[in-house]
Amino acid sequence: MFEPFTDVVPSFFGMLNQGPLTLTIFLHSVIVLPMVWIYFQEKKRLENEN
Amino acid sequence: MANKSVWSDNRFWQRSATWVTGFASLLLIWLTLDTSAQIQMGTDADLKNGVQKRVPGPTVINYKITYEMSAKRGHEVPVIGEKEKFFGRDDYSEEEAGALLHLGKLGSQAKNCMDCHTLLGNGAYYAPDLTKAWLDPAWGPDGAMQALTGKNTKEEAMAEFLQHPDQYATHARMMPNLGITAEEAKGLVAFLKHMSSIDTNGFPRNFGRMQGAVNGK
Repeated sequence: MFEPFTDVVPSFFGMLNQGPLTLTIFLHSVIVLPMVWIYFQEKKRLENEN
Repeated sequence: MANKSVWSDNRFWQRSATWVTGFASLLLIWLTLDTSAQIQMGTDADLKNGVQKRVPGPTVINYKITYEMSAKRGHEVPVIGEKEKFFGRDDYSEEEAGALLHLGKLGSQAKNCMDCHTLLGNGAYYAPDLTKAWLDPAWGPDGAMQALTGKNTKEEAMAEFLQHPDQYATHARMMPNLGITAEEAKGLVAFLKHMSSIDTNGFPRNFGRMQGAVNGK
């Protein structure tokens, strides 16, 4: 699962890109997880309004 | 209104859109800065101290460049080895080498190499990709081009070919004479040599290697 880091110039994105789909999975998580959080916040707000 | 779904709530979509757009914008800015750092050209000191850069400094033309399989990275990488004479010299200063590369770059633009060739994958697909042209075995000691042009070194053979490409029919798609001068040809060969030393993550794949050239020797 964890491959040795092989890029010439080390970088944060290089670190995340050391296996298949690892960068994609990370970026999607970073985008989708806060949306889950927003979803539950809004749900709570709607319930309180009622 | 009882039991309004979050999915039909405007605020949820507004906040989501704000988050996604904002995050994507910041990510693009960050990636731009990250890329700028990655493609920053190295210096003469980096070459002397063995500091690896994706784009080595212009004085890389003083060194032998080979293209070797890296088991660790799973593709071929340019290896900068020991000193090698380039047009009879291996002591080009940073300014001299920089000026030569600049001349070659301007020449490549003025003569529009990309009208037929690709450079680092950009350009037209009529003629061969020139990214690793310097490492093409055809120009090496065992290749045909030195004998064909009557020159003893790779750089002289390349410079001769560039000045009179129409005299050396190498391909059905023959290169036309573009009126390249001797000085421009020298710059163009330096430009090609420097380009071959750029770490392109193995692009182009399965490129033919110079025979017998290992570990930059």
